[in-house]
Amino acid sequence: MNTRSVARYEGILKVTGDARYEGEIVPDGTLHATLIESPVACGELLSLDTSRTAAFPGFAVMVSHADAASLKPSAATALIREKAIHFHGQPVALVAAGTLAEAREAARAIQVATTTRPAVTDIGQAAGSAYTPAMVGRFPAVTRRGDSSKALSEAELVIRNRYTTGVNNHHPMEPHAVVCWWEGSRAVVHTSTQAIFGTRAIIAHAFDIPATDVRVLARFLGGGFGCKGQLWWPWMFWAMLASRKANRPVRLELSRAQMFTLVGRRQQTEQDLTLGFVAGRLTAIEHDVVAQTSTHAEFSDSTAVYTRLLYACPNVSTRHQLVPTNEPHPIPMRAPGTAPGTFALESAMDEAAELIGIDPLELRMRNFADQDQETGRPWSSNSLLECYRAGAERFGWAHRHARSATKVGRWKIGSGMATTLYPAIRQACRARVSLRVDGSLLVQCGTQDMGSGTYTALGQIAADALGVPMEKVTVELGDTLLPDGPFSGGSQVTASILPAVEVATSKLRATLASIAVADATSPLGGKPPQDLELRDETIRSRTSNAGEPLVDVLARAAPDGLEAEGESPATNHQELAATGMGYGAIFVEIGVDPELGEIRVRRVCGAFAAGRIVNPLLARGQYIGGLVGGIGMALHEETVTDRPTGCIIGKSLTDYLVPVHADMPEFDIIMIEETDPHLPGGVKGIGMLGTAGIQAAIANAVYDAIGKRVRKLPIRIEDCL
Amino acid sequence: MSTHTNTDAAGSRNAGNPIVEQRIALAMTINGERYDLKVMPTATLLDVIRDELGLTGAKKGCDMGGCGACTVLVAGRRIASCLALAASFSEADVTTIEGVGSADRLHPMQAAFMRHDALQCGYCTPGQILSAIALLSENPRSIEEIREGMSGNLCRCGAYTNIIAAIAEVAGR
Amino acid sequence: MSGSSFEYSRATDLDDALAKGGRCNATFLAGGTDLLQLWKSGLAAPQNVVDISHLPLADISRDGDTLVLGALARLSDVSAHPDVKTHHPMICEAILASASAQVRNMASVGGNLLQRTRCPYFRDRALACNKRDPGAGCGARHGENRHAALFGSAAGCVATHASDLAVALAAFDTEITVRSTIGERRLTLQELYPLPSATAASDSSLAAGDMITAIRIHRASRFAPRSIYLKIRDRASFEFAVVSVAAALRVEDGLIAEARLAAGGIAPLPWRLRGSEAALIGRAPTEPAFLAAGEQAIEGARPLEKNTFKIPLLRNAVVRALQSVRGGS
Repeated sequence: MNTRSVARYEGILKVTGDARYEGEIVPDGTLHATLIESPVACGELLSLDTSRTAAFPGFAVMVSHADAASLKPSAATALIREKAIHFHGQPVALVAAGTLAEAREAARAIQVATTTRPAVTDIGQAAGSAYTPAMVGRFPAVTRRGDSSKALSEAELVIRNRYTTGVNNHHPMEPHAVVCWWEGSRAVVHTSTQAIFGTRAIIAHAFDIPATDVRVLARFLGGGFGCKGQLWWPWMFWAMLASRKANRPVRLELSRAQMFTLVGRRQQTEQDLTLGFVAGRLTAIEHDVVAQTSTHAEFSDSTAVYTRLLYACPNVSTRHQLVPTNEPHPIPMRAPGTAPGTFALESAMDEAAELIGIDPLELRMRNFADQDQETGRPWSSNSLLECYRAGAERFGWAHRHARSATKVGRWKIGSGMATTLYPAIRQACRARVSLRVDGSLLVQCGTQDMGSGTYTALGQIAADALGVPMEKVTVELGDTLLPDGPFSGGSQVTASILPAVEVATSKLRATLASIAVADATSPLGGKPPQDLELRDETIRSRTSNAGEPLVDVLARAAPDGLEAEGESPATNHQELAATGMGYGAIFVEIGVDPELGEIRVRRVCGAFAAGRIVNPLLARGQYIGGLVGGIGMALHEETVTDRPTGCIIGKSLTDYLVPVHADMPEFDIIMIEETDPHLPGGVKGIGMLGTAGIQAAIANAVYDAIGKRVRKLPIRIEDCL
Repeated sequence: MSTHTNTDAAGSRNAGNPIVEQRIALAMTINGERYDLKVMPTATLLDVIRDELGLTGAKKGCDMGGCGACTVLVAGRRIASCLALAASFSEADVTTIEGVGSADRLHPMQAAFMRHDALQCGYCTPGQILSAIALLSENPRSIEEIREGMSGNLCRCGAYTNIIAAIAEVAGR
Repeated sequence: MSGSSFEYSRATDLDDALAKGGRCNATFLAGGTDLLQLWKSGLAAPQNVVDISHLPLADISRDGDTLVLGALARLSDVSAHPDVKTHHPMICEAILASASAQVRNMASVGGNLLQRTRCPYFRDRALACNKRDPGAGCGARHGENRHAALFGSAAGCVATHASDLAVALAAFDTEITVRSTIGERRLTLQELYPLPSATAASDSSLAAGDMITAIRIHRASRFAPRSIYLKIRDRASFEFAVVSVAAALRVEDGLIAEARLAAGGIAPLPWRLRGSEAALIGRAPTEPAFLAAGEQAIEGARPLEKNTFKIPLLRNAVVRALQSVRGGS
């Protein structure tokens, strides 16, 4: 496969408005649904008085926990099968009617009675209830390597600080939507999900029907960033129950306000981080994280996990603790774990560098980990040092002091840098590739394209392997009738689909070669199959000028076309010979107006190493997009709870600030290509790399500009005055 | 125990107003075609465009004027169609993304968005393109003015840099 | 999303509008940019929406040295108008710093002055707000009050006024023409915006059925060479002001002969800084005078838990605004 900047496969549908997102597929007779939300943050639903509802025009059906009792219990259905109210705004019923306006009018007439219990709406309020979860994702919650307290007592320099990060919401531009109906006992579910097969599995489990009786479709996704996984909005089940009850299709779309409460959030963290140094080398790290989870389920980001392995250090203790509150449930969001975790660690490294009196970049290079510190395994590949060097050179890091704290107009200039990382992991994947007799190619895989370029990558990988131009490629994804593909998350899709597509295409190449050489009338007849290659829609001999157009071979020997499936396994973490990790070094220049407190990012240079890059054009966009998300987390985004009520305040995009066009700095992206002998396909994920590290780089730059160390996110006007 | 009238969506404290049966007849030109419509008094222009006419290129990102995904042009000027009451737009000349260009005849702005990969998930894209077309008719004088002028269109994927590159190319900068 | 049901009617002329608007639970629809948000959030539930957007009240003209803005003039038309650009650049700056281009193309100047506060406790019916429900209490006072006012707020309401344009107009001699079925009256901007009481907080002194028909800005062109609208916000665009300052000076013989200062984001109404103005008069337009004006601006500020930063911010913003207009254009 080649590295090639192929234009986005589905771009034409998106620029013309022809791309149909799943919530836009509305069959005749569809009922429109709305959710009734709990007015209390903690309590129990007593009753829903619908006596006035039946008379409302268009009203069709109401569904609540009572209807959901028929669903099989599981983590996915827990919230919707119970009367318990865990957070303000939790849906207590779904109302469906002929139009959305009618549904809302009917919903307004329903009297909701609840009990109210005192709510815990702040992790500080319930610090005593902090507990250690068994696991943090696939990692242990607590680790101890060496003896950090002894090492700290012997260290020349100890840095101990608390870093805090706020709650963020994902806010993909497309709010969650579902349009669903039943065909007998079979369910059809159009929904904006990052995981069609995961969604199919939980639906099949909940309704106790075979997975093959459920079809889930997500051919276009208006973003996701973690909030459109399979578990995050169980109210989809209510829409399915309403559809079954009314025997009509039901459409439910969340409002932007509900995107603050019903589809997960990046959890708030309080991180106590202690670093110990001897001669500029890390001798001890202690990283303790306290974070919020909901009262109905457990989730912890892997916030301190990467502290275990980013730097060479013999004595490392990490611990994650959770405090349950009556607030919405946290879930992974863009660079989960690495974004808040690197904010603490990479801020602290900057603080250490100043106290030690060396360049912060030099301090990081000096503490480079040449193997996985936790397992002792080698890296599958690791070009972090090259990222540091290349990024520093392009950014002009060595000359930054000439600009530090100088003024450009009203802006005091500051520079900062930080490291980012994300593990390279793969999911199991199947893909089907079909060559039609006209020489066109069909690539099918039941994954999704969240906007990250999966359509293009699938098509491009298959097209390159078979010597077919992109114009002749059709890609189908986002439908559970297709072969099982990976969920879109964790920067894993390209790495997961590439080996599967390559297996399928090599089968096709072998078949084509054997057909061609077996036919005496072909110019390739009698040649050794391994001598043949596919290029420019032609099967060619590598050693002679002989060749035959692909369509001729197909017409003669495979008039029905050829089809092959490929399969590739998930990463087996137990049996890895080497640890796969993508890295980056992020350099930023910011301006701070010290009198007015305003902060603007002026320039970002990111040097990233993440294995092979399939499509540099799209990869660059992914890196920049990630960095923009990181700028949002660093400077703008924060979801705030009104403590007395548990109500999230300012549930709009007017109040929850995300970066806009005018906030954009100049971006300079360096992609350092790696040949990775350990990873199938040699691809690591890229999507998450930009969204971590940059928060600390910005905080470090703020310090460089105005001498104020801000250890909380977001960094706002009040922190810079 | 406490009893509440549900506060989802809107309404006065006592369960909203009686439903009004009124329908307003109006004519609009949309993408050069004349439509005779009968709309609910409460329908927004966005709802009519998306739900009645099936022109789903106009997106509902926030429904509160805060994201720009619903941008359409009225007499060449960009507006937030989610904050426009359809009934008020009698005789309006509306352009949605479907009227800008088609796959075989792309508008230069659409072509530039393709060339610069000025999109990812695509949900904000129609609004960005319409906003950009209107912006160029306002004669921005610099990249900074283009950035400022486009700031009503959010892109959560963060494709801003390529969007500005596409607009700048069409603007000849 | 949709709010509760209403009937729509289009006013045929001004008298028709006033007659319809005077009915019970009626509201005027001009640009609609705030009304639709309020209605969708359940904060406005009119039974009758009277569409006045097509009435001929959108003229922008000059009457001697008075700028006359028809109440239905769109924000974008005002900011693009050659007379406004030349003689009232600060008004252009305030408008261009407002909202987004899409919203400016819709919103009317009259509606802009009457937009309701962005205080999140007002905007969400689940939270306590005296402005929305008199007597319900104010959740912001001891809650999340980063956005809240420093001045003019009673215990009952700490919300700030959201309009940028109103801050610019407050710096000048602005007169609001109001019509109702009873007749026409003229208010100063100060008379339009009352201060909140202990338990309630009306947005304006207008009664139901009153309509702003015109805004007159008198004798402001003399400030054109030395004026600025400075807006401070968390992100670079498309955000309501954290703090804003409208500043205008007239300098005669090297001394400040006249000074006009108003601030936004710090009070329930556009806040005229008369103390700061007095501190400038008769002094050279230099740093000492500006610093004195900055100190005067924060005199009497009463911060809450999370908005104390607005005190130094306001002081610095006043100084910065004055520094920026010092040289003139």
